[in-house]
Amino acid sequence: MADRPTQQAPTQSSGTSNPEKDSGHEKHIVSSFDRDLETVQARIMKMGGLVEAAIMNSAKSLETRDEELAERVRADDAAIDALEEMIQEETSRIIALRSPSAVDLRVILSVMKIAGNLERIGDYAKNIGKRTSVLAQVPPVSDSASALRRMAREVELMLRDALDSYIQRDQELARDVIERDLEVDQMYNALFREFLTFMMEDPRSITPCMHLHFIAKNVERMGDHVTAIAEQVVYLVSGDRPDEDRPKADNTSLTS
Amino acid sequence: MNEMTMIDRDVTTGTLKISARKAQVYYGETHAIKDVDIDIEDKMVTAFIGPSGCGKSTFLRCLNRMNDTIDICRVEGQIQLDGQDIYDPKVDPVQLRARVGMVFQKPNPFPKSIFDNVAYGPRIHGLARNRADLDEIVEKSLRRAALWDEVKDRLQAPGTGLSGGQQQRLCIARAVATAPEVLLMDEPCSALDPIATAQVEELIDELRSNFSVVIVTHSMQQAARVSQRTAFFHLGNLVEFGETGDIFTNPSDPRTESYITGRIG
Repeated sequence: MADRPTQQAPTQSSGTSNPEKDSGHEKHIVSSFDRDLETVQARIMKMGGLVEAAIMNSAKSLETRDEELAERVRADDAAIDALEEMIQEETSRIIALRSPSAVDLRVILSVMKIAGNLERIGDYAKNIGKRTSVLAQVPPVSDSASALRRMAREVELMLRDALDSYIQRDQELARDVIERDLEVDQMYNALFREFLTFMMEDPRSITPCMHLHFIAKNVERMGDHVTAIAEQVVYLVSGDRPDEDRPKADNTSLTS
Repeated sequence: MNEMTMIDRDVTTGTLKISARKAQVYYGETHAIKDVDIDIEDKMVTAFIGPSGCGKSTFLRCLNRMNDTIDICRVEGQIQLDGQDIYDPKVDPVQLRARVGMVFQKPNPFPKSIFDNVAYGPRIHGLARNRADLDEIVEKSLRRAALWDEVKDRLQAPGTGLSGGQQQRLCIARAVATAPEVLLMDEPCSALDPIATAQVEELIDELRSNFSVVIVTHSMQQAARVSQRTAFFHLGNLVEFGETGDIFTNPSDPRTESYITGRIG
């Protein structure tokens, strides 16, 4: 039951249903093992839901200059952190008590990594909340907040698809998410140049632009963490790590 | 945040089944069990682990007075089942063993048919009113031991003709047929293949909803998989007794840590 179902080219399977990968869903003889695995994966989904909300709310608070909402994003991060801690404890317990192997081991390893990625995304959202509280005190700089919200929206959709692909063990969808990080990188590039221009034009805009730039960078990093989650899905389903040659467009580090 | 089922590891059911206080066992001059205090709760799987000769089987055998059959063996201290001292002279060991069943390391079926092996206990304890009742008990017990499908067409064949693993599951079926309150298992899976082992482990998990199960095992992984509480014995002492997850992720005694990580044995 635990052996990898197929070694044939993974490109054949398409869409959301993925029948040939179903061996991972076959029940264990010891049913409590299944309960443990389901519980910990349910927690990942719950954590994912909280993180999606944090992304959306942080971007919304930025655009609408809603300090109260920003404050709430910061406070809600505690729940995400607590879930991560719980997942870490439960996965270490499953490893100690059940010695998972093959697909079960990959599930547990992916759960640990995904929990870590989600926790970081939550931290970035919290940081956006903090900067929003500062930015709300000064006049807005152009309409960059709307652009940031669109970028956050894209990342949130990627996260949603990454989590869907995780639950459905759909590596095609996961690979699609990995490709889409390119768009987020391009959005970040554009914003980077925009902020640079503003700051050169008017030194008074440096403070808000620095904050906005960090926010853009946060969202861009979120996209990287979502990509890492999608890569875990590919690993979980196929046992292979995706190649590192995915398209990247964040070349701001080369800007002079 | 706890609305989802926490990983199924409740550590207390609140009802005490067996409690031992200052239990001592001597084999002649040898002091095999020293000052063991333990509380075994109802509807829970308790595993005893420890290196060979640490006394875990000896202590297990105290719980249904199997040590009575060894002449030089002497048990001191107090062991209570449901608050009653099981070494009280008024207690009938045969009745006690109907309440506290046992499965041994080596399969030991009676030289009788498969059916009679399982039906023996219910018959002598008068648990079945008629033949239909008895048939039902036998089938249910064999199913619980994950043996039914393999033997249903040859229930009258001798139990000793089964393979080793099947014989062991037959013994488990025989033990659960009398519906004991406590089931003691001494290395029940050492003669089984991995699939049969998994089936027995699933059975143990299921039995937990009705009985208290105490299992002695050399496989620490098995203890980790099946039990809610684990007791570690070393040189006749009960070194550590606690929730299985804690014992296997963060034991408090260095000897436990050394044993479960394969550093002492």
